[in-house]
Amino acid sequence: MAINKILRDTLIIAWIKSYPDFRRNPLTILLLATVGAIPLFFMLIFSGSGLLIHGLIGALISSVAFTGVLAGIQDISWDRYVKIREMIVAMPVHPASYALGTALAPLLLSVPSVIFFGGLLASFGALTLATAAWIIVAVILAWASMSAIGFMIATYLYKVSMMVLGNLSTLMGFLFVFIPPVFYSETMLGNLSWISILIPTSNVAGLVRVYMGLLPLPTETVIIRWLILIITTAVFITLTSVKARWREP
Amino acid sequence: MNEAVKSTELVKVYQSKERVEALKGVNISVDKGELFTLLGPNGAGKTTFLRIISTQLMPSGGDAEVFGNSVVDEPEEVRKHIAVVPQDVVTYANFTPWEYAYYFARLRGLSKPDARQAAEKALKAVDLLELKNRMCQTLSGGEKRRAIIASALSSDADVLMLDEPTSGLDAVARRGVWSTLRDMVDEGKTILLTTHMMEEAEIVSDRLAIINKGNLVAVGRLDEIKALTKEKYRVVIEGKFERMSDFAEVVKLGDRSIVYVKTQDEALELLKTTLKMNLRAEAAPVTLEDVFVKLVGGINNHGNQ
Repeated sequence: MAINKILRDTLIIAWIKSYPDFRRNPLTILLLATVGAIPLFFMLIFSGSGLLIHGLIGALISSVAFTGVLAGIQDISWDRYVKIREMIVAMPVHPASYALGTALAPLLLSVPSVIFFGGLLASFGALTLATAAWIIVAVILAWASMSAIGFMIATYLYKVSMMVLGNLSTLMGFLFVFIPPVFYSETMLGNLSWISILIPTSNVAGLVRVYMGLLPLPTETVIIRWLILIITTAVFITLTSVKARWREP
Repeated sequence: MNEAVKSTELVKVYQSKERVEALKGVNISVDKGELFTLLGPNGAGKTTFLRIISTQLMPSGGDAEVFGNSVVDEPEEVRKHIAVVPQDVVTYANFTPWEYAYYFARLRGLSKPDARQAAEKALKAVDLLELKNRMCQTLSGGEKRRAIIASALSSDADVLMLDEPTSGLDAVARRGVWSTLRDMVDEGKTILLTTHMMEEAEIVSDRLAIINKGNLVAVGRLDEIKALTKEKYRVVIEGKFERMSDFAEVVKLGDRSIVYVKTQDEALELLKTTLKMNLRAEAAPVTLEDVFVKLVGGINNHGNQ
């Protein structure tokens, strides 16, 4: 299948899955922003503005990471339920278009919150143009890795009911976003700070902190963190593509 | 080649906790431009057949072709010719019929102007043009179903595959869908339909096949299917009918009995008899349902055979 058809279909599927909410259910966008805003609110209440920047980094990453894992699990299970997946399988559409479009849709919905929290970071002087590109790449990788995890779970738990998958996706979202050092610095973990490298969300949060000058790490460690982030994303994608079947066997 | 769809010894075995043979070597041929109905009880294998033909499911054995393209080896070629409406499909609540028809046409590869035109035509065909910008959550069940059918029609696919498209619809909505399907056939489309509703199969089909427990039981036009049973008339008798043992084919439904007879004269004779016994009775030619029940082995004989 021609690459331009694959890309075009990806965008159409992403549009199909995000545009109606953009237009007719904008509360979805607010809800996605709230996932990051609530912990930020409590951080401000209980610790004042001291942890504001860390909280904003967490809110920025949670905006895409939460939707990433949700995309992989909920959209796929929902699509099975409404049977739109069956209709698309029987069309001249490449499976990559479907997977990418499905993952891209929630990212589009989270763009307003990314702009909002990113804008706040910039307004506090924590974000410069020089570091913005690295941070954007890191955030995109957070989305990619979390989407890959979501797809992997949905693929391996193919026979699990939609309701269970729905709950699981929310739980996974919370686990990946709120437990590891995403809203707080990994230095608070002391000797266990290495754990943050293994989890895509906290790894990205650490990288963002590095580029903002909040976490001093040697260049080699930063490179290793990037490599681990890319490798974990690739592993999740590979595990998914090994098991995933466009056509049922 | 006049065949749009052809299956050869199609087999599907599901291997879960227990082995289930959903299709046991099904051979079906659907001509271009005909509406072919696959009729069968629940769990007969209709949906499995449709899902294999529409390249959603791999067969365990045999093969099928759509316009000469193998569903096993050339699924991408098959997909260019088909559009599918799955069973119990649910609409996106905040999607409109227009969006369904337009975006599905775009996914088929149509350009924006062509997709607009195709969507307009499809919505007109299903009589939803006036409601095209209403969100699906505000539409009735029949309108939602027609919106989904419009998404299949807008693809301008040669073969439409619809899995129980009228299931759960009221009589008026059902007829609306049937009318649309017949219009599509008039336009030269080939339609493969599954249903367990006898009336639907009787009214819309050019030809039909009866499938039961994965086996093809009968294939042909309605008259050919009806001709498969020796009994051509049915007499429905209300009340206690003492002479049931005189007849070979009798079905007992509580206080009613359906007696099947071979000729009109036999039916008339039986009517006279029942009237003399002060019972209510009604005679009519056998229906597809009568034949279907007999062919799938559901008839309950109380006669002397």
